[in-house]
Amino acid sequence: MIRLQNVSYSYEGCEALRTINLDISRGESVAFIGPNGSGKSTLLKLLNGIVLADTGSYVFDGKSVTRASLRDQTFARTFHKTIGFLFQNPEVQLFCPSVEEEVAFGPRQMGCTEEVIAERSEDCLKLLGIAHLAQRPPWHLSSGEKRKVAFASVLALNPDVLVLDEPMNSLDPKTKHFIKDVILSLIAAGKTILCSTHDFAYVEGLFIRGIVISSDHAIVRDDDYQKILADSAFLASQNIL
Amino acid sequence: MTPEWLLRSEGYAPRSDRDAFIDKSIRTFLSILSRIRSQTRGTQRKAFVDARVKLVSLLLLILFTSLSHRLIFVGLCGTVVLVILSLSRGEVILDILKIALAVAGFTFVIFLPSIFWGNLVGAVTVTAKVLICVAAARFLAATTEWRALTRALGAFRIPDLFILVLDFTLRYIILLGALSLDMLYALKLRSVGRNKDKTGSLSGIAGTLFLKSRDMAEDTYSAMECRGFTGTYRARRLPGLRVSDAFVLAADVAFVCAFAFIGA
Repeated sequence: MIRLQNVSYSYEGCEALRTINLDISRGESVAFIGPNGSGKSTLLKLLNGIVLADTGSYVFDGKSVTRASLRDQTFARTFHKTIGFLFQNPEVQLFCPSVEEEVAFGPRQMGCTEEVIAERSEDCLKLLGIAHLAQRPPWHLSSGEKRKVAFASVLALNPDVLVLDEPMNSLDPKTKHFIKDVILSLIAAGKTILCSTHDFAYVEGLFIRGIVISSDHAIVRDDDYQKILADSAFLASQNIL
Repeated sequence: MTPEWLLRSEGYAPRSDRDAFIDKSIRTFLSILSRIRSQTRGTQRKAFVDARVKLVSLLLLILFTSLSHRLIFVGLCGTVVLVILSLSRGEVILDILKIALAVAGFTFVIFLPSIFWGNLVGAVTVTAKVLICVAAARFLAATTEWRALTRALGAFRIPDLFILVLDFTLRYIILLGALSLDMLYALKLRSVGRNKDKTGSLSGIAGTLFLKSRDMAEDTYSAMECRGFTGTYRARRLPGLRVSDAFVLAADVAFVCAFAFIGA
């Protein structure tokens, strides 16, 4: 479903990704692991078409993702509908006056009927346990609640692929467990989950595959997630544990 | 329990909509942020000339170019600016000249009526003065880190607190700019169909930024108070001048003498 070949990316003269080769199939749950500044977030942004590779190719669902293809409105919108992105900082995703409108933003753009929009919003709010916040302005919520609202607003689009950038950041243990359960239910529903994380304790059992990105911005290991976690010497050598 | 619609993959044919404004805004923010970051990153090579000396030279150039009525002196100033510009990289020269020529061109257009009344020399002189001053100011901005420039203001008895506010302003432009860029990206990723309320989305972003800036300002002030800030601020003392600075100051004196002999 996702294929990156020899992808490199630099930002203002600084190398952020080096010769990335990656194949991800539909329904996989993949964890991207690496130290700070290794390029995990940049890779996730690249997968979402926010940044574009300097060299190499990115093919999503059989179609090449390039500057030219993203200029095609129909392709870009279908692409963004199919792949949803939860930003590391959920605040940047919230710009509507109320939580309910925030979640309804995507379905409304898709042209769903008001009944479908209401159903989706209600389902997502219930799934994330924030139905009681529906009429609250997103800005005044706690960081955990903001993350849940951002998550719900992405889910409302029903994307096939969910890209989560450090979803457990700044959450209390109870909320982390809750988010983990939600992700587990999405994996069970057949969604492809791509997630960068540092918080190994709370993502136990979520991922099948792990991809380790080193501090020099290259993939150094693509393996069974449990095997990677069990290899303490390797994780220490990569400044991960 | 996972809702039924979330379990199935859905075919989606997006409706057309005009939302080029998001892409245009993203491009604009990227370009502005990239420019500011390159000025504030602190990785530029150690400057050959101190920012204070550059600032003094620029002020002298602007002052005496503006005061002079002699085209020959204005020509001399233009030559000096061109020589200094030629020491820069090609892209910097192009960037400086693009803006300077645009402003000078605009000035010339304004002076067109006076040319029709026979004042060609006056129009050309004023246009040349504008070209020289804008190019020199742009050169200073392009070759000097903004932090060094704000510090240099201290040499002109500008209060330290004012310099601190300037530094904060620059920092906030970068932070809030990066935040707005991410918000525009988020809006773009969720703009998968027809948005009937585009202005609503943008005003939502503006509102969030306003609230964020207020929170950041309050947090920063609290953090400063925790570190002993009581309303007065002393900026770091500036280092002494070097030989290269003395050389430029000598050139400034020569420039003032040239004004006295041929420019006044």
